[in-house]
Amino acid sequence: MAKETIKFAFMFVALTLCQVVVFNHICLFSVAIPLVFIYFIVKLPVTLGISWVMTLSFVLGLTVDIMSNTQGMNALACTILAVTRLPVLHLYMPRHDAITNPEPSIRTLGPAIFMKYAVTLSAIYCTLFFTIEAFTFFNPMHMLLKIASSTLLTFIVIMAIDGFTTSRR
Amino acid sequence: MRNLLNFFLRYSAWFVFIFYVVLSCWLLFKKNPYQHHVYLTSANAVASGIYDVTSNITSYIGLRDINEDLQRRNAALESEVIMLRQQARRLNQTILQDSMRRLDSIGQYEFVIASVINNSVIRPYNYITIDKGSADGIGPEMGVMDQNGVVGVTNIVGTHHARIISLLNPNFRLSCKLRGNDAFGSLVWDGESPSEALLEELPKQVRFQQGDTIITSGYSAMFPEGIPVGTVLSSTRGEDDNFHTLRIKLLTDFTTLSTVKIISNRDIVEIKEVEADLPRVASGTTSTSKL
Repeated sequence: MAKETIKFAFMFVALTLCQVVVFNHICLFSVAIPLVFIYFIVKLPVTLGISWVMTLSFVLGLTVDIMSNTQGMNALACTILAVTRLPVLHLYMPRHDAITNPEPSIRTLGPAIFMKYAVTLSAIYCTLFFTIEAFTFFNPMHMLLKIASSTLLTFIVIMAIDGFTTSRR
Repeated sequence: MRNLLNFFLRYSAWFVFIFYVVLSCWLLFKKNPYQHHVYLTSANAVASGIYDVTSNITSYIGLRDINEDLQRRNAALESEVIMLRQQARRLNQTILQDSMRRLDSIGQYEFVIASVINNSVIRPYNYITIDKGSADGIGPEMGVMDQNGVVGVTNIVGTHHARIISLLNPNFRLSCKLRGNDAFGSLVWDGESPSEALLEELPKQVRFQQGDTIITSGYSAMFPEGIPVGTVLSSTRGEDDNFHTLRIKLLTDFTTLSTVKIISNRDIVEIKEVEADLPRVASGTTSTSKL
């Protein structure tokens, strides 16, 4: 248990740093921004209480907000993502008892289910984030393009991180 | 009582959820950037420490371009100095007998040099973090420029770091005018491209051409008059027929910003006091206090 806690604490710090130092400055074709730090929320064990998941997600979002001067945008989107996480997983994997390892990954869920799970969460997050952002400037076509391209980019990077860390073990 | 307790236990997740959503919405809808707390911005100790380290590494990347910019600006200034020196000599000869005192309008300003440690151009509201703070004489609402033109205005100031509201932020409006013309308008970013902005509320009778330079008007006490801002790209008629709206190409390259100058105005306290007595007057007309 302590080992798991340390692992997630390390992941929290590493993902936040990567997001604010590297990924926040990437903007492919001036539309696609990788929002990779949600990998932390994707990876939280499914057995963890929902209040804990929400708290950790909120703190994660707030940390990224503070570092990138976005005041509550990521915090709100992360909290909502934390709630939708389990329903999304059960959508693709109806039998709850089939989980042997509570941590979602390619190995524990199988590539097909994990990919569907990751792409859905990325899509939900990008939609939330850019909708909240659009309260300020409203340009529907540009927003849809941003959502679609950012979802794709976020998904690709998350799959890369997951494939890399899982194969190492 | 037991029922009430059970109710709270059973729906505790909902309460936690609502609490976090309300908290983040509260943060989100505090629109005015001057109300942000220093701990919740990139000017706090941890965030600025991290950005210090990364900027130490990445600041080397754009040096070639910056060097070229500086060389070009240097050459332009040098030729201007030579021209002005000749002009001054000629004028001095002609008005030698007059004992007219010349007004030194730039003398009231001082510059502090700072490095940019974090910067964004892709958000709807962009901010910049620099590595100088109140310990270096920086206060809120001071103008910021780089070697090419206007960058923004300081906003949240920590001891050794400060956050700047970038020109690429709709919360910041800058009073500007066309060079060689006293009609002024208001420059604001429309969120489309980090190299372009709009100059609004320019009176309709003003004549201009594509490529004309836009400079600061000096009406806001944050910037001295005449700092270059951009050049005219095109014009669109505003909704109101009495004003022009110009699309401006900004001279500052916000994507490779590295070193900036913060302008501190020694007379700002006095100007603030004078302006405080005129609460209803629009900011443009208060400039008479400076003339």
